[in-house]
Amino acid sequence: MIRSNPGGLSQLAVIALLGSTLGACVTSRMENVRQEATGIAEGEGVVIMAKSYHLGNETEANFISCIGDSIGRGSSGLRVIPNREFVDALFPWFEPRTAPAETKGLPALMARPGVAETIREKGVRYIIWLDGDTDKVAGGGSMSCAAGPGGGGCFGFAWWQKDANYDATVWDLTGLEDAGTVSADVSGTSFLPAIVIPIPLIARTQAKACKGLADQLKLFIVSDESV
Amino acid sequence: MVFGGTKTPAMALTNGLANASIPTWEPGNLMSRWLKTIFVTILFATLSGCGGSKVMLHDPTIPEPLIDQMPITVVARFPEEFDNFVHEEQVIGKEKWTIDLGQANKLLFTQLFGSMFSDFSVIANDADARSLPIDALIEPSIDAFEFSVPNQSQTDEFAVWIRYRIKIFDNEGVQIANWPIAAYGKSQTTTFGGDNALRRAAVLAMRDAAALIIMQMDKETGISELSAARARQEEAPPTNLPAEENLQSTAAEEPPDDSL
Repeated sequence: MIRSNPGGLSQLAVIALLGSTLGACVTSRMENVRQEATGIAEGEGVVIMAKSYHLGNETEANFISCIGDSIGRGSSGLRVIPNREFVDALFPWFEPRTAPAETKGLPALMARPGVAETIREKGVRYIIWLDGDTDKVAGGGSMSCAAGPGGGGCFGFAWWQKDANYDATVWDLTGLEDAGTVSADVSGTSFLPAIVIPIPLIARTQAKACKGLADQLKLFIVSDESV
Repeated sequence: MVFGGTKTPAMALTNGLANASIPTWEPGNLMSRWLKTIFVTILFATLSGCGGSKVMLHDPTIPEPLIDQMPITVVARFPEEFDNFVHEEQVIGKEKWTIDLGQANKLLFTQLFGSMFSDFSVIANDADARSLPIDALIEPSIDAFEFSVPNQSQTDEFAVWIRYRIKIFDNEGVQIANWPIAAYGKSQTTTFGGDNALRRAAVLAMRDAAALIIMQMDKETGISELSAARARQEEAPPTNLPAEENLQSTAAEEPPDDSL
């Protein structure tokens, strides 16, 4: 038995209208600064590292995984050496405390026993150092929910804005030089209107930054354009 | 209310309850039972958060370091706490966290020193090393162990701080170095889950200590010179000054680290 419910329909219409009007929005900007010519040969790969937390870096572990997965995926995917495998093979020279902060530390590092040989065996041509994080920068609105024996529901409206700012610095281990930097600045605002049922309109800020940065990094590395 | 003669789930439940020796049934009774059930479930879910968590870390290993071994003969003597190290942290108003390192520190230092020195062995903690043909005796210990959980730091990270102390003695039992080491590790809950994140943070702190020891030990303590000092001591006539007077490279005591 179906009963018409004009009140319910109007609620749905309002929610749909809100959803279409206020759909989560994301703005992004990708930039790269090239310092040296790049390129990658068969058998060569990249390793994704986070800059040291001893230096205050807060890059999320899931973002590092996401970049690694995205760079390695697809027909133009690059060979990605797992981060932990690389760090373990070169212990203790890529620990958060000991990893080189600048390329000028690379010649001394490569001169240490076994380091250059291990890097060659692993086929690592580039190290990509990630720096940055995703932060909630603003938010507002209010929402209240209540439940009782007869049912429950939420009423109100909430929103929040997240900014994802990441830099990826590419080191070429062949020339022991800084090849350049790719940056991603993504800002997304999420909305949560609720008329009985909350309708989340989530801006996937970090995911957008991951995809954008990974795509740019792939182009940056395979491109043979000169400086 | 029943439509078309079919039983509602509520009726079925009611029948079940009636069979379970409930003498009378009223809608109000059933509702209050549901509410009680929900209340008790919420209560258990809430209280279980206060029960505390225990994390065990009994088999930490560090990778084989890419280093040249120092050509000296070293023994290590570990304190009793290295056999079973347990640390508890009560987060005020929240849960209690316990981390049980077991023999993790003993394993770590045995593996580390075995990689660093060409001739390394462990002696009993009541053994006298002065009668042994060695260049140095190392006695590591733990000065402090602390950790923070996300509730405390208002982040999604577990962090572990370990403050080790390394004392080094020459072959005559004279202390030549007293070196404090502050190590740090952190890990995010979103990646590893609560217990695993704390375990990972502890492992990272121990790796941090190992990396620091590999990088700085000789510079801070001058341990590699003990072999040459012993050789000189053995060659020199008995009237010469004792070897320890030539070894004043004792690591300076660093001021306490406020971060611990």
